[in-house]
Amino acid sequence: MHIPDNYLSPSTCATFGVIMLPIWRRASLKVKVEITRQKMPLLGVAAAFSFLIMMFNIPLPGGTSGHAIGGALVAILLGPYAAVFSVTIALVIQALFFGDGGILALGVNCFNMAFIMPFTAFYLFKLIKNLFKNTKGEYIGAFLSAYISVNMAALFAAVEFGVQPLLFKDISGLPLYSPYGLAISIPAMMIPHLLAVGFLEGIITVGAYSYIKKALPDVIYKEKVNKIRFLYIIIGILILVTPLGLLANGTAWGEWGPEKISNLIGFIPKGMEEGFHINSLISDYRFGFLNEYFGYILSALVGVIIILIIFKVLGKINMKSNTKGD
Amino acid sequence: MIPEWLSEKDNYIPKEEKNLYIEKSIFSLIKIVSIIRQNKNQAKLAYSINLYLLNPTLKVVSSIVMILCISISRSFIYLFIIDIYVLINLFLMEKKSRKRIIFKSFIFPLLTLIALVPSMYYGNIHNSLLLFQKLIITTLLMNLLSHNTKWSEISKSLKLLFVPDIFIWIMDITIKYIVLLGEHSINLLYALKLRSIGINSNKYKSLTGIMGNLFIKSYKMSEEMFHAMECRGFVGEYTTKVNLKLKKIDYVYFIINIVMVSLFIYL
Repeated sequence: MHIPDNYLSPSTCATFGVIMLPIWRRASLKVKVEITRQKMPLLGVAAAFSFLIMMFNIPLPGGTSGHAIGGALVAILLGPYAAVFSVTIALVIQALFFGDGGILALGVNCFNMAFIMPFTAFYLFKLIKNLFKNTKGEYIGAFLSAYISVNMAALFAAVEFGVQPLLFKDISGLPLYSPYGLAISIPAMMIPHLLAVGFLEGIITVGAYSYIKKALPDVIYKEKVNKIRFLYIIIGILILVTPLGLLANGTAWGEWGPEKISNLIGFIPKGMEEGFHINSLISDYRFGFLNEYFGYILSALVGVIIILIIFKVLGKINMKSNTKGD
Repeated sequence: MIPEWLSEKDNYIPKEEKNLYIEKSIFSLIKIVSIIRQNKNQAKLAYSINLYLLNPTLKVVSSIVMILCISISRSFIYLFIIDIYVLINLFLMEKKSRKRIIFKSFIFPLLTLIALVPSMYYGNIHNSLLLFQKLIITTLLMNLLSHNTKWSEISKSLKLLFVPDIFIWIMDITIKYIVLLGEHSINLLYALKLRSIGINSNKYKSLTGIMGNLFIKSYKMSEEMFHAMECRGFVGEYTTKVNLKLKKIDYVYFIINIVMVSLFIYL
């Protein structure tokens, strides 16, 4: 996921650098408050740890092996702000000394892997942990937070790639930087991450977390104030970027309606013709009276609210069964 | 007396293992540690004419300016001139690192070129080749910088880019501890390799256990380090100084770079 230089336009890199500045500033302020002078060397050592995690090869089905990023693990163990710091340093060292990832693209890489990933992982982990309130829930939380956060980071990287040909063209309309649009970049990034890398990240996070939890539970980060505001901010950003899908022409792969299929393969399979039709509540993510973009945003909002309600209800049920058990 | 069960012959045949992920991990860790070690020792060796003697701050700044120019530039001629300049730099390097730099800097751009083939097929040839060339030059430039400059000097010169002292200090700690923790994990991996033969389910678990152990070890090490620092009078402040002493050869290098930047402006 390390984006090298020249894949993205210099202006994209500069924008993300500017976005990262307040995040770094806030992280350094937070870390100063949270981490005592005694633990200051820990930041450097933790950065070395997150660097080394990337060196471990884990076998994947099919005889190959891959490596994890470890951003989720560091976030769960040290807290999100310390994770921003240590993953940033690991990325800087990789870019400066090992030639992995670009110098100009450092802001973008940090945004994906040192901001989106640890924050998503940390707050998801907390949310799931609070819902289940037992050890199993913690492990599920560790796995899911790692799986989802690495995919989130990959999605952001894919979007950053995918918007390049839309925004930056030469006089004849040919793309200047990464030439593949969202319709190619998102599947190319997401399929391997959804199928392999996410699981890898999850397994490593659960394995290492459970070991540390058994061996030395005191070192795991505990936040004093209980807030999950940040998760809502990230979900908010995601909701706002949902209309990006409109930029890509064509429908999502595999999500074709009968008419589209007849366009694609020339006929409508019989089963589909007579098969079931779902008349969804919000058809094509569009509210008749609204602009298409707002329709998308509204649909995303409705979806998120429904999911949150389901989780809340599940949490209530789970809590009840827990108290019964006691 | 030896108990009877000890003298009995076992006919345990372990399942054969195909993927050698432990060896792979050990190999990549050893590579990292040796790269850092080599960089440390480089400064001690004496070279006659070369890039090691140049002022590191100047090198870092000019490399970054050059990368910026390259990424903005749209001219093949300018990129070609930079190509020649970078290759001259490459030939001033010592043989071993030259080989490594070439190997490292060409694989990735070549893979990119293959990925760009479909786009070229649709007529986007000029821009794709431009991208390919830019990729080669930037990776070459960065690899040259990291191979011909002491890393602690590179991180010190980041101060010129408004990077705070504490960040530079943490970066120095990180590089030192990558070596220490890397060696620790190499030992752990060797222990795992020696103790398990063939495929078994515990191996996976042990691998994540090693990572957990590595974290605990790093936690303990950082505590030890703090105590060591406090004993030596550390109060929580750290300042670095940028090395701005320029020699004759630095001025030559500076003029070459000015020429390069002006070429960028005129081409």
